[in-house]
Amino acid sequence: MTDDKDVLRDVWFGRIPTCFTLYQDEITEREAEPYYLLLPRISYLTLVTDKVKKHFQKVMRQEEVTEIWFEYEGTPLKWHYPIGLLFDLHASNTALPWSITVHFKNFPEKDLLHCHSKDVIEAHFMACIKEADALKHKSQVINEMQKKDHKQLWMGLQNDKFEQFWAINRKLMEYPPEDNGFRYIPFRIYQATTERPFIQKLFRPIASGGQLHTLGDLLKDVCPGAITPEDGEQKTQVMIHGIEPMLETPIQWLSEHMSYPDNFLHISIIPRPTD
Amino acid sequence: CSMAGEEDFFLEEKRFKQHCEEFVKHSQQIGDGWEWRTSKDLGDGYLSKTHFQVRNRHIPPDLKEKNNDNVEQALFAHVEEPLDDSQVAGVCTTEEVIRYEYHVLYSSSYQVPVLYFRACFLDGRPLTLEEIWRSVHACYQDRLQEGPWDTITQQEHPILGQPFFVLHPCRTNEFISAVLAGQQGYNRHTNYIILWLSTIGPVVGLNLPLSYAKVGPEQNSNTDL
Repeated sequence: MTDDKDVLRDVWFGRIPTCFTLYQDEITEREAEPYYLLLPRISYLTLVTDKVKKHFQKVMRQEEVTEIWFEYEGTPLKWHYPIGLLFDLHASNTALPWSITVHFKNFPEKDLLHCHSKDVIEAHFMACIKEADALKHKSQVINEMQKKDHKQLWMGLQNDKFEQFWAINRKLMEYPPEDNGFRYIPFRIYQATTERPFIQKLFRPIASGGQLHTLGDLLKDVCPGAITPEDGEQKTQVMIHGIEPMLETPIQWLSEHMSYPDNFLHISIIPRPTD
Repeated sequence: CSMAGEEDFFLEEKRFKQHCEEFVKHSQQIGDGWEWRTSKDLGDGYLSKTHFQVRNRHIPPDLKEKNNDNVEQALFAHVEEPLDDSQVAGVCTTEEVIRYEYHVLYSSSYQVPVLYFRACFLDGRPLTLEEIWRSVHACYQDRLQEGPWDTITQQEHPILGQPFFVLHPCRTNEFISAVLAGQQGYNRHTNYIILWLSTIGPVVGLNLPLSYAKVGPEQNSNTDL
């Protein structure tokens, strides 16, 4: 029987084999070889691609190198979404390695946030954690922490240090003994087909009668189109970290064990492959 | 960002919508340009307003080289009419027209309204975060410098999915609580949106005409004001 803590490790150490190719219209002095990298599912593109940038900069003229951005099959990839979410949402049912195109020109201002430094990523990451705690604990736990604890969460993520991260994050996963879970569950549901980037609503993990709400309950309440009635053909997949959790799973358990480091459950609804 | 405490004033989504409705009604009466936009899929929505701002970026001429008459002529000329080449010599005054778009959305996580905005020049070039920080009103610069990353950052618009700048909700509660604490007897009918927007709007160049102060359920007795 798998220990719950093993789930935390499996989530943290998930990787996606990726092949980075320079966009053909970028001007180079020599031919650019593709670059292969195992990307951490739980991190962010601009945090883990310094080597990718260096690799392609070697074959380009200095003045051609401005802000790097990534694209998959014509879709600009939002660096502020965790890598695992981007993969699940856009490429989960395609052959590995994941093929990402690298750009240095024509930054798509209307689609992507700028990311001029690691500070931007840290600010975004910490803002997500704070919002998650506002939902779970009315911000009480995050506000009681010292600045160095906040820093430790970020450093843990940046340096891929599971123990360092969870030493602090475990406090964000606790709740008062008299309650049976968090106040509200931090989650976002993504569908590539909508203009709206994600659905996020207030959702309690415990029903008024004390029963634990499930993943299925969440979807029915917030995104009823996502799951078809039992007798119908299931046209979509509900994916978190590359797997389809059973809809009967208590959402409180999912929030504690399968959230990303930003403390949110990022859930993808994707078309079920027909094969 | 704190949420606990009875001192804090939170806004339910239903009340948010009611206050926005009231707000838009008044805006229509005075031609202030605000409108409510409903999203097609989930029925939630937001307030929206677009306006243009002219910013004069005046780079002073080198006064030693030109005589004063020419300089004065050039300085005043840019206000009335475009500079022609003879007046431009020695003076560089550019008028920048910036298109601002403001959206007011509801945050269910913090239970407060949130101000999203974007700004671009007429040629379509968007303002950078640094340019936005620099344009924050002088009296808020100290606050901004203390924690720029906690105050205004670029974020994804939750309904449109496009990059916008956001004034962080954390600071909202600080501002609002301070204002309401000072008031003698908080009036439950105070339009939260008007109170909030008139307080934080000026930070990012958004001002509300004074007539909004009249908005309230006792609108029938306007003559008393």
